[in-house]
Amino acid sequence: MRECDDEICKRIKRIIAESDNCINLLYATSCICTKNVLLYQLKTMLDEINFLSCLLCKQSEQIQAGYSELPQQNQGEFTIKELAKFNGKDGNPAYVAVNGLVYDVTNNAAWAAASHFGLTAGKDLTGEFASCHAGQAILNKLKITGKLI
Amino acid sequence: MNKTNICPEYKARLKTAAELINKVRDEIKKGVLVRKNLVWLELTGCSGNIISLLDGANPDFKYLISQMVSFVYDNSLMASEGEAAMEQLMAITDKEYILAAEGAVATKNNGLYNIIGRFKGEPVTALKAISMLGEKASHVIALGACATHGGVSAANPNPAGCVSVQSVLSRKVIKLPGCPCHPDWFLGTLAHILLYGEPELDSKDRPLLFYSTLIHDRCPRRSFFDQGIFATRLGESTCMFKLGCRGPVTRTDCPVRKWNQYVNWPVEDDTPCIGCAQFGFPDQMEPFITYNTTRVVKLIQKKEK
Repeated sequence: MRECDDEICKRIKRIIAESDNCINLLYATSCICTKNVLLYQLKTMLDEINFLSCLLCKQSEQIQAGYSELPQQNQGEFTIKELAKFNGKDGNPAYVAVNGLVYDVTNNAAWAAASHFGLTAGKDLTGEFASCHAGQAILNKLKITGKLI
Repeated sequence: MNKTNICPEYKARLKTAAELINKVRDEIKKGVLVRKNLVWLELTGCSGNIISLLDGANPDFKYLISQMVSFVYDNSLMASEGEAAMEQLMAITDKEYILAAEGAVATKNNGLYNIIGRFKGEPVTALKAISMLGEKASHVIALGACATHGGVSAANPNPAGCVSVQSVLSRKVIKLPGCPCHPDWFLGTLAHILLYGEPELDSKDRPLLFYSTLIHDRCPRRSFFDQGIFATRLGESTCMFKLGCRGPVTRTDCPVRKWNQYVNWPVEDDTPCIGCAQFGFPDQMEPFITYNTTRVVKLIQKKEK
């Protein structure tokens, strides 16, 4: 992790030097086209700085990808009320229950923003699943995190 | 003065071209070689699809109306107006025609929420027009989100009782969803119909030519998704899955075909896909953007002095 931090710091210093150069060029140029190109480059550099700083912050807080600290339930058993917390908002993972099993859809492509065709996570969606995906081999590809009690 | 001798091979080629032109001219005269008729109905919608059609490039609108079809009726673009225009529309039912329909069909109060014209003193509702013209057409193409599944017109609470074109017709309807439909998707489907007949359709009646693959599977940012590198706000160049991108559930060729004559598409402009070409748009594609996600990202805060 230390090496990674050093690399990131070096990169940030490099980007600061590049953007400084960009700004100097901006002062020098009078052509609108060149100005726009330089501004776009500055924007890209800012994006990278933001991205790198997020990496640094994440490392220092030791948050693992996708999950935040939550009180542990009894070995993966969820009541409906407990399941409602896992709605994919405020840094919570996104869980849905189908046929008594609770699935983790946090990083499932079809559940962008923890929603799927008008449905939100943190619920028992057995009925909705049956009415749309009956007969399709979808559930066996999903990660199970527990069961609904 | 010497008469210039033309090369005999060149002479023969000119003769061939002339023969072909004469043949075409004769067949047009005899009525053998005819352009098919195209009727375009704008129903309960925003007319976005006809505007999108005008933006077509390969082929363009000029090619469509001069070479591909005989464009008989369209509310926005035809030269005649009023009763004369409606007469042209009613007269086409006796001939063979392809029907393109955009916009949903308002059904409340017997369709009185959407009147597309008056004929012989009587209002012609969208419902009546599509029912009458839809059954007799050789092919019906429903364009745009509203015509294919209700779309924006049928969004909650749907006061006019809008439904899809297929709901009011008992025959097969080719569906081209999209908000709007890309001009290439329509012109490509039409060209296929003119040359080879109905294109291969998927289980939801969308041509596989354009609607076969998920945007997610052709997204230039897919490697960011696979590595878990997600954008936290608009304008970033990484995967926008956490912001609510609907690329993973939408089947179109936007990443490769792009829009506005192949210039760009939403994701490459750092804004997520809102799934406008998927059944369920817009209600089931919400939220289009969200910052309250499964991951808390601490951005650098400026120190206040």
